[in-house]
Amino acid sequence: MLTPPDQPTAPAQPTAPSPSSAASAGSPRPVPSVDAAASAGPSRIAPLRVALMSCAHTHAAGYAQLLEAREDVDLVVADPDGFGDVRGARIVGSYDQAWDHWPEGPDAIVVTSANAHHRDLVLEAARRGVHVLCEKPLATTVVDAEQMVAACREAGVVLMTAFPVHFSPAAEALRSAVAEGSLGEVIGITGTNNGKLPSTRAWFTDVELSGGGALVDHTVHIAEILQDMFGAPATVFATANRILAADRAGEGAETAGLVTLTYPGGLVATIDCSWSQPADALTWGGLTIQAIGTGGQLQVDAFAQHVGGPGHWLPYGVNLDARLLEAFLDAVRAGEAVAPTGDVGLASVRVVAAAQESVRTGQPVALQA
Amino acid sequence: MRTDPPESTLRIGVIGTGGISRAHAPGWRAVGAELHCFSLAGAQEFAEQFDATVHDSLESLLAAVEAVDICTPTDQHADLIHRALDAGLHVISEKPLTLTPEAAQDVLDHAERAGLLVLPAHVVRYFPQYAAAKRAIDAGAIGTPAVLRFERTGSFPRQAWFGDESRSGGIVMDQMIHDIDQAIWIAGPVASVYAQQSTAPGDDTVRTGHVVLTHTGGAISHCRGFWGPAGTAFRYTFDLAGDGGRLRYDSHGDSGIVFDAVAAARQESGDGFLPRVTTMDDPYASEIREFAAAIRDGAPTRVIAADGAYAVAISHAAIESLHTGRSIAC
Repeated sequence: MLTPPDQPTAPAQPTAPSPSSAASAGSPRPVPSVDAAASAGPSRIAPLRVALMSCAHTHAAGYAQLLEAREDVDLVVADPDGFGDVRGARIVGSYDQAWDHWPEGPDAIVVTSANAHHRDLVLEAARRGVHVLCEKPLATTVVDAEQMVAACREAGVVLMTAFPVHFSPAAEALRSAVAEGSLGEVIGITGTNNGKLPSTRAWFTDVELSGGGALVDHTVHIAEILQDMFGAPATVFATANRILAADRAGEGAETAGLVTLTYPGGLVATIDCSWSQPADALTWGGLTIQAIGTGGQLQVDAFAQHVGGPGHWLPYGVNLDARLLEAFLDAVRAGEAVAPTGDVGLASVRVVAAAQESVRTGQPVALQA
Repeated sequence: MRTDPPESTLRIGVIGTGGISRAHAPGWRAVGAELHCFSLAGAQEFAEQFDATVHDSLESLLAAVEAVDICTPTDQHADLIHRALDAGLHVISEKPLTLTPEAAQDVLDHAERAGLLVLPAHVVRYFPQYAAAKRAIDAGAIGTPAVLRFERTGSFPRQAWFGDESRSGGIVMDQMIHDIDQAIWIAGPVASVYAQQSTAPGDDTVRTGHVVLTHTGGAISHCRGFWGPAGTAFRYTFDLAGDGGRLRYDSHGDSGIVFDAVAAARQESGDGFLPRVTTMDDPYASEIREFAAAIRDGAPTRVIAADGAYAVAISHAAIESLHTGRSIAC
């Protein structure tokens, strides 16, 4: 018979910031750090002032909830479009109100606007010396993304791109296996990032706001992981169509796509970025990567962990958004970006832009080395 | 065309008694065929195993049977098909039908003139998983097919000729043609094809291919082939998404028979080339049964010569894409 322990075990605190990472050198705007004088008691951390800019992206609600729950964050949420479905203690109706919410301005912003508006918000943050976590894709054009990365670098602010899957144990297992040579020479990759077409935000298929359809939305997560392991691809080929959810897809927005990448060393990779998860499926979609090499194969599924049953899909894996926010807030305190950076966001935008050009021309596109 | 009256016992001549002939033979036995064989090697062993009559020349074999089953290396298919048609015999040929679209067209023309059947053995159409998906999709289960993915994995075939692209057509023409044919079966003709292949440095028997098809109806398909290192288990998967649903299958998933690691280590390992199909109806036997019925009484088959020729044409375009780095219009 099992006996409960006398003392309840304290739950793990994966979100506890490390006091040792509190250096703020390099940031033009010193951020609150550990109270060094409080040596007698537990370290107290002055809350970071964080503004969540826009509720347009479907991820905004999740970020707001996680940030709101943190004692080390003072959150304001800007909902200039008036979506009204993101919960938060302080919701304001304009970006200006968010910028001006604190006399000294925010320490950091999280950009969850429609894709085409990322640039203006990030450039404004750089101008103000404010750190940025920007939703993926970083931008809708390579020029915009380059401008954003350059502006943040010149301003000395952290720019990170919101790729939660980067923090998945599955992605970590893949990176480790490749780095350690467990698979021998990797010669092929198949990645799938299939989801439902977002139903609560119409702008995802309005190319003026989104920059495109499934190619834009779902190529970049896997592109980021591949960039981490193999660097930039040499060529990009893509084909796409508008058969899925044809009645809801805006003019010019593809709803299915296949993106094939080649690498200088010969590796070939294909990403299925389609919104092919049926609307009545039990879960939003998923992300898998299969790597095959001379030393065997590895298949990872970042969202496999769940308890299932007829009508039930109960995910229990680690909260990737929480890990992403944790890494970003640590980076803000340290004044230095960590992966996934703005640079990898830019690299993945380059892949998307090449894929879009390939769809237009029908031929593979060479990426500049 | 032969004018002999139909006989109750089919007389079948197996040409080439290597690996795949051993998968066909039980199907022929099951339909009660009288087996004859001719081969440059292994004929005696085949004859003993399957109770076949060995012939010491092709001419002798062709004179003794009413249909041939061609199981030779691919580069010999076209010549043997013409020889059999000239002899007035129906033909079943292992896939790919031929190595080139031109040779396939010659075969179609010859069969048409002769009024004889040429059946390409695209056995995957007879695997019950693919057959079930095809039936369901034809009945509207996924709506309009939009994006299809197929994977096929095995270790490099034992016979060295598979690695000689001039003889086998390489991984695209030999292994991936199965899934190229599936994509066509489900989503129709192809407007363009793009392909890439990656071969392991220092070991060209380990290689992978990616073939991307854009169908004339708009659907897009990805076929991923893999000849893996020694010990790679045979595996096949598909994921078929349309605007009305999705169908998925993974051969690793559901045999219904699971040994634990201790027990599995004691099981005889598979040979990595032929599927171990003990948990389902033998697809080779299903294929042969349908072919036998077609030869006997003209019953329709789910794959015809033109399908085999079209699969060759698209696979050939994929190889052209491999060589040029371009997407090829079909």
